[in-house]
Amino acid sequence: MKHILKLHVNGEDFEIFTEMNKTLLEVLREDLGFTGTKRGCDLGACGACTVLIDGKPYLSCLTLAIAVQGKKIVTIEGLAREGKLHPLQKAFIEKGAIQCGFCTPGMILTAKAFLDEHPYPSEEETKRAISGNICRCTGYVKIVEAILSVNENQ
Amino acid sequence: MRLPKFEYLEPRSLKKASEALTADPKGTFLLAGGTDLLVNMKHGVIQPKRLINLKAIPHLNYITEGKDGLRIGALTTLHDLASSTLVQDKYPVLGQCALEVAAYTHQVMGTLGGNLCQENRCRYYNQSVFWRSARAPCYKVGGEICHVVRKSKECHSTYRGDMAPVLIAMDAKVKLVGWMGNRTIPLKRLYTQIGKKPLSLRKGEILKEIFIPSPSGQTLYLKWRLRGTLEFPMVSLALHLEKNGEGNIDRAKVILSGLGTGPLEAFEIEKMLKGVSLDDGVIEKISNQMVKEISPMRTSIASPNYQRKMAGILLRQGLEKFKS
Repeated sequence: MKHILKLHVNGEDFEIFTEMNKTLLEVLREDLGFTGTKRGCDLGACGACTVLIDGKPYLSCLTLAIAVQGKKIVTIEGLAREGKLHPLQKAFIEKGAIQCGFCTPGMILTAKAFLDEHPYPSEEETKRAISGNICRCTGYVKIVEAILSVNENQ
Repeated sequence: MRLPKFEYLEPRSLKKASEALTADPKGTFLLAGGTDLLVNMKHGVIQPKRLINLKAIPHLNYITEGKDGLRIGALTTLHDLASSTLVQDKYPVLGQCALEVAAYTHQVMGTLGGNLCQENRCRYYNQSVFWRSARAPCYKVGGEICHVVRKSKECHSTYRGDMAPVLIAMDAKVKLVGWMGNRTIPLKRLYTQIGKKPLSLRKGEILKEIFIPSPSGQTLYLKWRLRGTLEFPMVSLALHLEKNGEGNIDRAKVILSGLGTGPLEAFEIEKMLKGVSLDDGVIEKISNQMVKEISPMRTSIASPNYQRKMAGILLRQGLEKFKS
């Protein structure tokens, strides 16, 4: 059964006529075209589909789109402001923390929520925070370096 | 993987949710964090006609402390639990245990109530429709066979929750709300130890609150899994000890997860611990007893022998921590 879904994504309001049983991941990718949010395992075990909902990291493959109406959703496309990359995005580029790039949106959004809570984390805390995000290129060392470097000079 | 079609309800009160649940208890499922439920729906092991989203019900996300202990609303997320300064100061083991559940995103999404009510797991059950299609349906999905123990008359699916062992060791109680009225039961009694129907919830009943009495001893939680994150426990152990003035143990609780159809209490070990003072000899003797006390089934990739051995090692590690 289709219904009208009202979502607030990356600062914009959307009204979408779509099926009730869709996950947030499916709506973002298929109905709204935000393909920066990746579909990995689709079972909550890889973290590639992570988006921010009210500032907290959520697995969009295990979130019903209908259940997050009225909440602020941020995908990787919404992180840059006025053409300027977010410091985390810059850090990922500078440190070479991107290989194939598939895990990157999920990594950056998880890291953003984590840094908002813990601005000056230890390496151990950082590793723990991104432990639900799997990088199959196994480039974790650079990713951890990038996350730690964001607030280093402040 | 598409979710199957379902009817979606968002009641604003527990009473309404309970009424909706009562109307069709078999076809209706409760949704809180969704990290267990949606995976099971995608795997087709459950096919809800109706989903009731509890998250729209206000005032179920709280942590408050009274004279007699801590009250936690069932919709409190594991992340909120671990971040609470009250929990960190007075009930640190709860926060540590919440951080052992899966990873950051799951802790943000998952609720304490949902964690306690999670489904049992089995390597023949938590699989895709395609994977399962090669075998006859097992008891857990309504079939007539158990693939773990072939001649068994019952389902051997295993309870693999993290929070329940710690909370049972701390004598937690749960408040259940239903259309027939409310009742409070010890958390231990929420679990039936029946693989096919692991929870003792009655028709229309919903878990509302978890109560933990003020701590009277020391509790710790140790979890063994293949990776340091994400996974369910292969074996985990909650150990609660209360010592008297002379350093002898007055009361001991040893609760295990991942080894049976529900959280498992090691009664013999608890008896052995009573009255003793922990020294190397005692620790050796008691932790060796663990192998005899438990009989896990092969419901995960770990062999029962390995699980038994690891349970003993976890117990030894726990007792050694309490010795010093």
